[in-house]
Amino acid sequence: MIGVPGFRPVLLISALVVVAAAAVVAWRYELRPTSTQQAVAATPERSEPRALTPEEETYAAALWEIQRQVTVSAVAMSYAGIAYETDKHDVHVLEQKLEPLAKFFAEAEPRVRGLTVPPSLSKVHDEYLEAVVLYRKASNEMLAFTKDGERRHLVDAQGMGVTASEDLLRAGEVLWPGQYKPH
Amino acid sequence: MRLGMKVRQLASIAAATAAIAFVSGTAAKAQNCSVWLVESSRFMKVPFGAFMPDRAFVPGSTNPNNNIPTVDLPANYGVIKCGTDLILYDTGWKAQEYLKMTGSEHWASGPDQLKVLGFSPGDVTKIVIGHGHWDHAGQIMDYPNAVLYVQKQELQGIEWALSYPEKHIRAINSDPGGCNRTPACGYMPLTMQEIYGKVLNGKAVVVDGQMEIAPGVIIHPAFRAHTAGSQLLEVPTSVGKLVFGSDAYSSYEGIRDWMVANIQQTDSVQQFLAYEQCYKITGGYENCVSAHEPLAYTDKYPLTKNSWVALNGGRMAEIALAPGEKSRKP
Repeated sequence: MIGVPGFRPVLLISALVVVAAAAVVAWRYELRPTSTQQAVAATPERSEPRALTPEEETYAAALWEIQRQVTVSAVAMSYAGIAYETDKHDVHVLEQKLEPLAKFFAEAEPRVRGLTVPPSLSKVHDEYLEAVVLYRKASNEMLAFTKDGERRHLVDAQGMGVTASEDLLRAGEVLWPGQYKPH
Repeated sequence: MRLGMKVRQLASIAAATAAIAFVSGTAAKAQNCSVWLVESSRFMKVPFGAFMPDRAFVPGSTNPNNNIPTVDLPANYGVIKCGTDLILYDTGWKAQEYLKMTGSEHWASGPDQLKVLGFSPGDVTKIVIGHGHWDHAGQIMDYPNAVLYVQKQELQGIEWALSYPEKHIRAINSDPGGCNRTPACGYMPLTMQEIYGKVLNGKAVVVDGQMEIAPGVIIHPAFRAHTAGSQLLEVPTSVGKLVFGSDAYSSYEGIRDWMVANIQQTDSVQQFLAYEQCYKITGGYENCVSAHEPLAYTDKYPLTKNSWVALNGGRMAEIALAPGEKSRKP
């Protein structure tokens, strides 16, 4: 026999239904990602700089002394290649421009290796070191071109330069966020 | 004797060919182009005074020039279709996990944005960069078939700064927190590598002054209007001639009200002369296309009002259509 439920069970069931409905509404309007939120998620997360610890700050400051020369030298290396291609194709001029840059990158590498690296920044440090190594190799490749005239050296060097430049940005995103401002 | 005749014949043929080429070249009628404006990303909440000194916020002021504390600045580039040419004026920048740019939103990749307009990255035949700063000359490698047009003065300006012995002049990133307005600031190593890649692959034209790159589509120098080798682009359309200005024309309101904007390596007199150039070419300020105008994509910047929201909240505007060109607006 199926009896008619009493008043209290009906009240309890009604309350449960209301709670469940409220949960569904809340999920739909508050918790579920809206289309705008989904769209935002489609791009890299907005960068909110993480405060560095004092130990990390010390590392970042020491590396910056190298970084300020690395960026200038990297741009100078690209410019040397551009000038060679667009001016008089003078390998001696190219060589003159590249030699001090190659020397700088060769000296920068042990300076970076010699820094005291906080464990929390070991990945950043490795990326930065890779960048400097790549810039050194790229400058040597370009110098090799001035010796044998093989253009593959220039092509290889440019590829290395792109990778190195991306590595610089990766490290900079952690150590010096906001270093590039809207221009 | 015979050789002499042959040389004279060849010379005559060459002269005739050159004459025909010259006549046909000059007679080539400028065709109207289709033009879209695309927002690469938006720099949020930039203090208005940092963008335009004359619009600096004064707390409590009721002066409309001084009562807005911050503005959101789009980073715009142009998509220009002229016959079989697909030309980009500037290329925006490339947000990656390593270059998120604190405070920027609504970024989408240029190739993806082109697909929204019905084009593919391989369709791009020419890229004219208004200047070489990172937020205007990024993503160049993503358009493999495009020939890059950059001013010789722009490249020489970078070399001058790099070679200058005083570090604050040559700074690219010489101080923690950024390089601000030093002469080589804004040219990040990655951007320069991308430009070098185009040059190395024979896909770059180093422009020295004015150059017509398609019938009626003319590069005009605007040296020191934002950077050493800034350049404008004149484009014929059904709504009249447009002049894209990149950061020589960062602000539509700036051109309208004769206020400088986005002073980086700017000579303010040269920026005003660039404004004047647009007035001369287009007959006013309404067809001057600004790179960072906060009012872009609204009725308050009428040229760009035919707009819609596309990828990731970034906006696009359809400015003009050539005869027979279909609308790309959804």
